[in-house]
Amino acid sequence: MSRIVVTGIGVVTALGDSVAANRDALKKGQCGISFLELFPSRYAETLRFGEVKISNEQLKQKFKVRDKGVTRTTLLAMHAFEEALQNSGLTNEQLTSYDTALIGANTVGGMCLTDELYHDANNDFEGSEYISSYDIGSVNIYMQKHYGIKGIGNTINTACSSSANAIMYGARLIQHGLAKRAIVGGSDSLAKFTINGFNSLQILSSEICRPFDASRQGLNLGEGAAYLVLEKQEDAVGKKVYAVLSGYCNASDAFHPSSLSDAGDGPYLAMSGAIQEAGLQSHQINFINAHGTATVNNDEVESKAMLRLFKDVPPFASTKSNTGHTLGGSGAIEAVYSILSIEHQELYPSLHFETAIESTGLKPLLNYVQQPVHHVMSNSFGFGGNCSSLIFSKA
Amino acid sequence: MIYVHKIASVTPQKELLPASIDEVNESVNNVLKVVEPKYEGVPLSILRRMGKAVRMGVGAALPLINTLEFPLNGIVIGTANGGMEDCIKFLNQVIEFEEGTLTPTNFVQSTPNAIAAQLSLLSANNGYNITHVNRGLAFENALLDVWMLLKENKTHTYLLGGVEEISSYNYNIDYLADWFKKDEVSNKAMFASETEGTLSGEGSAMFIVNAFPEKAIAKIDALHLMHTDDVTEIERQLQHFFNQHLEDGQSIDVLVSGENGDIRSRHFFEASERLLKDATIVRFKHLTGDFATASALALTITCQLIQSNVLPDHMVKIDRHKKNINKVLIYNQHKGIQHSFILVSKPAA
Repeated sequence: MSRIVVTGIGVVTALGDSVAANRDALKKGQCGISFLELFPSRYAETLRFGEVKISNEQLKQKFKVRDKGVTRTTLLAMHAFEEALQNSGLTNEQLTSYDTALIGANTVGGMCLTDELYHDANNDFEGSEYISSYDIGSVNIYMQKHYGIKGIGNTINTACSSSANAIMYGARLIQHGLAKRAIVGGSDSLAKFTINGFNSLQILSSEICRPFDASRQGLNLGEGAAYLVLEKQEDAVGKKVYAVLSGYCNASDAFHPSSLSDAGDGPYLAMSGAIQEAGLQSHQINFINAHGTATVNNDEVESKAMLRLFKDVPPFASTKSNTGHTLGGSGAIEAVYSILSIEHQELYPSLHFETAIESTGLKPLLNYVQQPVHHVMSNSFGFGGNCSSLIFSKA
Repeated sequence: MIYVHKIASVTPQKELLPASIDEVNESVNNVLKVVEPKYEGVPLSILRRMGKAVRMGVGAALPLINTLEFPLNGIVIGTANGGMEDCIKFLNQVIEFEEGTLTPTNFVQSTPNAIAAQLSLLSANNGYNITHVNRGLAFENALLDVWMLLKENKTHTYLLGGVEEISSYNYNIDYLADWFKKDEVSNKAMFASETEGTLSGEGSAMFIVNAFPEKAIAKIDALHLMHTDDVTEIERQLQHFFNQHLEDGQSIDVLVSGENGDIRSRHFFEASERLLKDATIVRFKHLTGDFATASALALTITCQLIQSNVLPDHMVKIDRHKKNINKVLIYNQHKGIQHSFILVSKPAA
């Protein structure tokens, strides 16, 4: 087995439109959650969101996209993809060769255009320009064509852990010799579909979300994207290596379609499986980027699973308190944040926390600290019990 | 190497392979809808709450899982859209009630991972669980995932599946995007059609797979997936695929062709036939219609052909009078840009 290393990262969220801007905001403990400015919704002034304050027109201009039917989910994905590509130093020849894989993930696809989809699906007129852009696969399929990527293309959907699984899948393609390099990640944009879906489940907070706080009321939806370039260590000689992807595990909670089991079986199995895959002991994990959605169910169950696994729970935080829950983008976005902690030997604080959950007593990290960081775990748990954990290590 | 041990499917036909053309169910308004069985392995109270895609997927897979003699290590599903009927029901609520108070049932069922998730829940399976959704290569990526899993864990057993439903959503959308015929064509005459578009279909195909050859019904030797609209590229890669995976003296007995009656895609299938001058050419989409994961049903049909060694006449396009069906190539393409080759063989007795 080769070591899989990260040679490029790119990210766009409500915190900023680059890796540097995101890191700066994380260090300062900034929160990107606000009322809506760009996205029209009945809830624009009553609920809060992690909205990326760049319009579709600006995004299209930036990437010179003249094709019709390119949705915001795709544009945000391209934003992160291009940054990752640029700082990986991949040549165009490498990008378009048969051994470069593109593995994406999202949960809404082109359904961010809820109103257009309504008309197209109900066949009440000729069909809009977005007619072929609604499905989840449309993002990756467009990017594969746009960038001329000839290797294996795939899109994964495991709800909120989608892009963590895209990272795993890309790494495995390389391990099996099915790709020499894989560009992996995910994106999601705000959509009436998901806003109303999560609202109907009564898990959206009207206040700014408070991960792991006893009085947490639910999550804030966000949008964004992140991509990583993965290569074998031996193929990355002379390149900047951000981190090693040392472990990963996908496990099912097998309990309920939209909530986690009391004992947190899925989260426990995903975290312990990733530690085992990395050949580590649990005490070697320096930091956990928790799933930490701030729903009543997730944070308590995730805490219990951490207490089950770790004799002493390492410092942990939820960056969803900065970005909101970016759904299909979150696994990759939080992977980038975990990698930044390793690259810069620093940990970013969780925001809006006051009082620990009574049954667990766990407090997230509340201050920015510089310290040796060797191994960071990133958790992503999705509806349907789809739990995945990734471990990034210092090269 | 993947060995297939059990198969189950839900298709638009009463029997997976009708013996004669008279027994083939006919399309209605260019659509072939599944004939759903009673799904006796699934409790009625649970079935009633499921949308069609979840019902077809869970209904076909659960009896396979429940009668397994060895533990199941994970569930790997390919579906381009999952439960889109639920998706559109929820979407309609969002618009019609102007984002008012909505019920979450349709929302939860609308996510494509609902089939794999429900299966893990109903079989209490804590293993690997994933849903691949890359449109016309969703099932192929599920197959590739299982191929890697079985290399990583040689003693494991997985459920592999492909599911797609026809919903008002994908039918209307793909119709407006010109993927279905505008003129009425029967499935029994679709391959002679000279117009653009195919017939809409749906189905569910489930497989129990592992790396053990004993008692297997079929062996999947190799898989290749491509993203291109260039027919010469298909020919080049198919030749390369043969060079890589066929040993000296080996040849393909049967090509299971994904020909779909759309004149815009005919040249792709003709190209594959040009490289298989000694193989019997069979077609299946008059039985299933066309959809993003039709290749999953192509694999089910291939397993059945290998097991029975019988080719129904209505499937045969060119008969090269093969005595035995030992090696089969499945070639399928979706919307002219997503293509796959799957090489399947009869396991050594």
